[in-house]
Amino acid sequence: MTFFDTVAAEIRKTATLPATAVALAVTVLGPVAITLINAVGVRAALRSGRPELTAYTSPAEAVFSAVPIGTVGAVVLGVVAVGGEYTANSARIGGGRQITTTLTAIPNRLAVLAAKAVTVVLLVAVAALVVIPASLALAGGIVGTDAPPAPGGVLSRSVGAGIYWLLTALIALAVTVFTRNGIVPIIVLVVNSTLVSVSVLLSHLTPLARFLPDLAGMSMFAGDLLAFDDALAPVTGGLVMATWTAALLALASAVFLRRDA
Amino acid sequence: MVLMLSVERLVKRRGSREILTDVTFRAAPGRVTGLLGPNGAGKSSTLRILLGLDRADAGTALVDGQPYRRLRQPLRTVGSMLEGSGAHRSRTARNHLTWMARSNGIPIRRVAEVLDQVGLGAAGGTRVGRFSLGMCQRLGLAAALLGEPRALVLDEPVNGLDPEGIRWIRVLLRGHADAGGTVLLSSHLMREVDEIADDLVVIAHGRVVAAGPIREVTAGYPTLEDAFFALTGPTAGGR
Repeated sequence: MTFFDTVAAEIRKTATLPATAVALAVTVLGPVAITLINAVGVRAALRSGRPELTAYTSPAEAVFSAVPIGTVGAVVLGVVAVGGEYTANSARIGGGRQITTTLTAIPNRLAVLAAKAVTVVLLVAVAALVVIPASLALAGGIVGTDAPPAPGGVLSRSVGAGIYWLLTALIALAVTVFTRNGIVPIIVLVVNSTLVSVSVLLSHLTPLARFLPDLAGMSMFAGDLLAFDDALAPVTGGLVMATWTAALLALASAVFLRRDA
Repeated sequence: MVLMLSVERLVKRRGSREILTDVTFRAAPGRVTGLLGPNGAGKSSTLRILLGLDRADAGTALVDGQPYRRLRQPLRTVGSMLEGSGAHRSRTARNHLTWMARSNGIPIRRVAEVLDQVGLGAAGGTRVGRFSLGMCQRLGLAAALLGEPRALVLDEPVNGLDPEGIRWIRVLLRGHADAGGTVLLSSHLMREVDEIADDLVVIAHGRVVAAGPIREVTAGYPTLEDAFFALTGPTAGGR
């Protein structure tokens, strides 16, 4: 059995779950929809001659402020890859969970976890490569000739947004290894990345909050959109988030290796 | 075709409670070995350790002399079925078997073959969550047979099967053993074990209280049932 076989099996396993299709749809359609709304608002403000009505006037900002909704899809993809293993079947059909099948088929647990990470990275990367360019084109098309000259760094911020999704998905995957249940990590991570960011709240209390994974990572794409003052530089922020991700994956591997299935 | 499953002095603790104590037995090729004991006796725990799912606190469980976790393409050596179907409820039976086949380099045509073999040929496209208990049990068996393994390890395989299904699995397991394969199954149902097993391992409170060919274990008792209660009851003194 090669690692390639393990990855191929994990991709097939993940791709045939309905939750994956939903998560991919959210990752792709969510940012496009929010970009559309943002861009229409920007165009209205520019055409009425009152650009101060919106927080920004550039089509690119309309896209980058829509990134959090894509994060939701990335979180779900990461959670489902592990959480699906622990979904209990009802007693009516004999109970049981898929994890026993997975680990009897592939007893090398490190390979299982690595294959899941590869699968999640591939899915999120493909989604990001489709949705970010599409959103930029859409926003540019809507705001059209009314747009101010494009600010610099759109490409690097686009890449940053994609990396932010990848790392968020991997963090979600690692956290679900600890909880062995998808519900709690989905609720916590989705709420944190959309409605109320615990890290943003903490940033009002201590400047150390900027080193938390989500705030650090957001500096890769958010630019002036980030609602607090002493954000990290984009590359520094990316490295801080990547370090968090690596540490959580390492811890998740250690737990997964030692634990009874 | 020869493959021995051997469990030696297995100890497993959960918290401060010892759930397996010095469990030792073998399942030999060409024989159906029945692991018989009441619920909670330690049957599933033993099988889970043998399959590398849980860790023993002491002792060894080996497949042909090596731990399960070291097997390459394990599904082609040991086919197993634990609780239920082992499939995610949102996935179809065919998709479940297909990812399994892919993981162990098993030809994809085996998926249709085993679905037909267990009588689920028409249900391959149905989500597992809509299966009945008996269908899940058959899917679990299909998964065990997928890699044409030499050994079968089955936890409560007749659970949820109708009389026809029970007869079917009896014929299937007999055929597997007669062809030189190794079969280890657990059950709390004495009549089923009596009709299917060549060798018996009786387990109670995490200890093996009797082991050997079924006629030896039941010698001196009118029926297996009498032997079972005498061996596993509160007054049992072990072997």
